[in-house]
Amino acid sequence: MNSTGLSRENDAETPSSGGHRTVAASLSVSGLSVHYRDFTAVGGIDLEIPEGEITALVGPSGCGKSSFLHSLNRLTDLIPGCRVAGSIRLSDGTEVTHPKTDVLSLRRRVGIVFQRPNPFPQSIRRNFEIPLKEHGWRKRDIPDRMETVLREVGLWNEISDRLHKSAIALSGGQQQRLCIARALALEPEVILFDEPCSALDPIASGVVEDLIHSLRGRLTVVIVTHNLAQARRIADRAAVFWVRDGIGTIVEHGPAERVFTAPSNPDAASYLSGARG
Amino acid sequence: MTPPTPRARPVAPVWLDRALAFAGATAALLSFGLFAWLVWDLARLGLPRISWTFLTGEIEDAGRSGGIGPLLVSTLLILVCCLALVIPLGTGCALWLSEFVRRGSLAARLVTGGVDLLASVPSIVFGLFGMVFFGQTLKMGFSILSGGLTLACMILPILVRTTLSALEALPADLRPASAGLGLTRTTSIVKLLLPAALPGIVVGITLGIGRALSETAALIFTSGYSIRWPSSFWDSGRALSVHIYDLTLNVPQSGAMASSTALVLLALILVVNSAAVALSEHWLRRRHQTS
Repeated sequence: MNSTGLSRENDAETPSSGGHRTVAASLSVSGLSVHYRDFTAVGGIDLEIPEGEITALVGPSGCGKSSFLHSLNRLTDLIPGCRVAGSIRLSDGTEVTHPKTDVLSLRRRVGIVFQRPNPFPQSIRRNFEIPLKEHGWRKRDIPDRMETVLREVGLWNEISDRLHKSAIALSGGQQQRLCIARALALEPEVILFDEPCSALDPIASGVVEDLIHSLRGRLTVVIVTHNLAQARRIADRAAVFWVRDGIGTIVEHGPAERVFTAPSNPDAASYLSGARG
Repeated sequence: MTPPTPRARPVAPVWLDRALAFAGATAALLSFGLFAWLVWDLARLGLPRISWTFLTGEIEDAGRSGGIGPLLVSTLLILVCCLALVIPLGTGCALWLSEFVRRGSLAARLVTGGVDLLASVPSIVFGLFGMVFFGQTLKMGFSILSGGLTLACMILPILVRTTLSALEALPADLRPASAGLGLTRTTSIVKLLLPAALPGIVVGITLGIGRALSETAALIFTSGYSIRWPSSFWDSGRALSVHIYDLTLNVPQSGAMASSTALVLLALILVVNSAAVALSEHWLRRRHQTS
């Protein structure tokens, strides 16, 4: 196996239970910084993201949580002038920030769900066919894979009779669950959530939150959220971002229980108690 | 209860709204009237002569009688040549501008500037260019090929501009969505961006077809005057618009024939445009639902 990522053949040989694999990967971040031309958005990040746990990134707006999250699967590459320095290592040794890393296979292994649901403006079925075909699934396996993940996100019974209809016609909450299913379909080892509930109504938000919680143990989850109550409910670990000297950084991290109840950093403490931020 | 605050000025008068609505309706009516009058006038003069023999027959007596069969074929062949070049060229150029080069970079500014300048070049200049470049330099002579390629250059800016704005109008989160799933740029462009932009691209193509079919000046020196049945793209062939021009200018007592030809040209534009729209809708629906 090379250091740039698992190949599909290896994945196919992995014995699967109940239709999907249960491999999760840990992430080890050290000395990470994200720069936009001359501006440093995030700096000095050291963080261990253990496999199979839910890590919540919290903190006020503009402190670099999203920049950090997007650097974990190199989506920062899309932004002209953006540069990431430091190390992000997957548990199999893959160095995310290395220029030779196969970005496409990295993004299959480290999936992402965005703030605004973004299904492709095509049929529900095509939303799965396009990425699955791209990553080497055989055409005849695609319907089963799609059904499995749509059941996992609780959408199958709602939409199984209109898979040929446009995904854009679904409600916001359904669209977001579709996007989660689409990311899960590729059998990722890590899944990143960038404020996945903030564009949804409270009920849909609750459904999505439960869904993310249910991924615990099977996948490594990293979630950026502004909803502290949500972070408290679902996170195993938490990291508090804060702007120090104009640069976003992590001022407190550890088990969620301790971070939320007994933060040692004064900025983190005042933010988490609602006094600042 | 507080008394209502006294107004410094009375509310804007309602009659102004009404006057504006009336003025708008008048302008709309006049615009439609112009179109209706044009079609009615053409139909009044030209419709009586239109028949199967007119559509398929050869020109007789310099165009005073007979039909327009060879011209119809030449016109369609010119259009085929034109579209075969302009669709890949125009979409390719727009794709490069929107997906591969940073907006505002020197290269992008140069290309868009060049394309926009091309749009303001008078068609007679394209005709002269086509005659020299395609006709003489590339040795295509007076031919349907020369004419079609010249038209392609002429309508290229329309296609680039409409395709570019269609691509730029796509939801901004489509690109991160596809990148986040690890799709290659090619897959993203071919399977997501182009299908989503297709309605806009088709608008560009139909506008271009309209321009191309009605063009006269660019064709006179390139595809020429021949009224024989064309046997290949290398033959000279007279387009319908050139025929109308010729009848009106050079052939006395042929006004009714010119009207009939114009009527056929109008119908042709309508048919080709609806075909393009129907085709794209069919294609979109198929992509949406199956495979």
